[in-house]
Amino acid sequence: MPVPILKQGDVLIASMQEALTDHALLELRDRLSEQVGRFRARAVIIDVGALDVVDSFATRTIRGIAYTAKLRGARTVVVGIQPQVAFAMVQLGLTLDGVATALDLEEGLSLLRAEAHGEADAG
Amino acid sequence: MPGELRVPIEGEADIVTARQKGRELAAARGLGITDQTLVATAISEVARNIVVYARRGEVVLAPVEDRGRRGVLVVARDEGPGIADPERAMRDGWSSGNSLGMGLPGAKRLMDEFELSSAVGKGTVVTMRKWVR
Amino acid sequence: MADVKLAWTSHALPHQLDVDEDEVARRKEFLEFREDDVESLKGLRDVARKYAEPVIEEFYRHILSFEETRTFFQDPHVLERVKRLQKEYFVRLTEGEYGADYVSDRLRIGAVHERVNLAPKWYLGMYSFYLRAVARRMLGAFQGEPEKAFATFLSLLKLVFLDIGLAVDTYIHAREATMRKQQEAIRELSTPVLQIRDRLLLLPIIGVIDTHRARLITDSLLRAIRDTRAKVVVMDVTGVATIDSKVANHLIQTVVAARLMGASVIVTGLSSDVAQALVGLGIDLGKLNTVGDLQGGIEEAERHLGYRVVAQADGARSA
Repeated sequence: MPVPILKQGDVLIASMQEALTDHALLELRDRLSEQVGRFRARAVIIDVGALDVVDSFATRTIRGIAYTAKLRGARTVVVGIQPQVAFAMVQLGLTLDGVATALDLEEGLSLLRAEAHGEADAG
Repeated sequence: MPGELRVPIEGEADIVTARQKGRELAAARGLGITDQTLVATAISEVARNIVVYARRGEVVLAPVEDRGRRGVLVVARDEGPGIADPERAMRDGWSSGNSLGMGLPGAKRLMDEFELSSAVGKGTVVTMRKWVR
Repeated sequence: MADVKLAWTSHALPHQLDVDEDEVARRKEFLEFREDDVESLKGLRDVARKYAEPVIEEFYRHILSFEETRTFFQDPHVLERVKRLQKEYFVRLTEGEYGADYVSDRLRIGAVHERVNLAPKWYLGMYSFYLRAVARRMLGAFQGEPEKAFATFLSLLKLVFLDIGLAVDTYIHAREATMRKQQEAIRELSTPVLQIRDRLLLLPIIGVIDTHRARLITDSLLRAIRDTRAKVVVMDVTGVATIDSKVANHLIQTVVAARLMGASVIVTGLSSDVAQALVGLGIDLGKLNTVGDLQGGIEEAERHLGYRVVAQADGARSA
């Protein structure tokens, strides 16, 4: 089952489910890239709230998605990293440098709205 | 108390199975949710190494005990090409892209005990343990 | 023998204490508790059934006559229940079954005593009273066979010492676990995560930071970020004993982890001397947003969240 991608205005939202295979992750990256171009999306939100493990492969793929999105003019925000997952990622030495993060979908959308209105400080 | 569980690693789907079973065992042994995640993540790293570099192998999960402490044992073994310089792999394996053994120093940081046994042509065995605090 | 092994593995307490069937067998060997002891105790079964009631009543009269031990049996339901259990135990001593179930029950007693704070001195004193009450009745029961009564009593002594050994071991084990929990609680108290405004957390770090404590701090902070939906954390390190490269790396990890959850961290209390020393050691402090003092850090955090602190006309302040 491919990961569903929702469109909310000019923001694409992909919610990763538990137990995504490597194959599904790569497929998601390609589909997002295509849709950013097709819909001229301004931003991509990747929701990892349902993931109980984010390992080095998943992190690399997410960075890849952010890079491809950026090439097509879209910002990426990763939301929903759970406390235990953040802890494990940091122990493993994984970073999402250059990719914005927010607590959850609501916060992610809020962040994008604020940026669009030019009100909030960055970061 | 269940005995050991062998998870054959033949494709990427097995990585998910191995880490889910690992999490279940960790929970059954009494590890907290954070430690369960560390175990599952470490398993994900070593199992992926098997898929990427050896194509097939197995992850063995077992409950262990030591002087009243309860814990989890994870052994990841394969008969792949092996690591030429295991010491160096443990030192800088994670910093650069595709070097063999990447993810091992990370896995070591996640677990309480970690041993790597590997040589060219002899396959690889990674032995890790995590204990209830 | 497979069934016996299963019986042993199904009990949790023996496992935590490494009291498996080999260990129990060893203890019995040391006590010289053998088949003939089992047989001689079995021979006591009818006597035990006959005297269970009077012995237990006498036993509890003694316990209730001392203030320190009376307190454990204030509730009449509790008293009824333990009397019943004691009578069952008394009879069980002579049933000849001293395997996994028996051992498991003895271990549980020790755990219960630790939980209710019944000190070993009372437990041992109670056992002493108990043995004497039984000894007196045994002489009567073995009329004309004092050697047999004595030999049976010696068998009973061996079994009772097996029991006491198991109960005391569990008591100690439970005590150690309680102390570990208390130490953990103290550690947690010493690193509180405080919510000082909506979406704003304050994390004052005081004392020595080792790897274990750093993990606890990070863990607490990340949970607090999730629970309070914090967007900004002010991490004050003024009270940290020594900030060497290890500690600095722990702090940086905490900051990076918080950021993964969408919270930005302002580090306060890092003196410029220490900062320079760390940079000299090759630590990249570029990831950190540092502000000199705590007040400045909180003000910056508030600005970041859109708060504006305004002084009222009469000199009082409000946010």
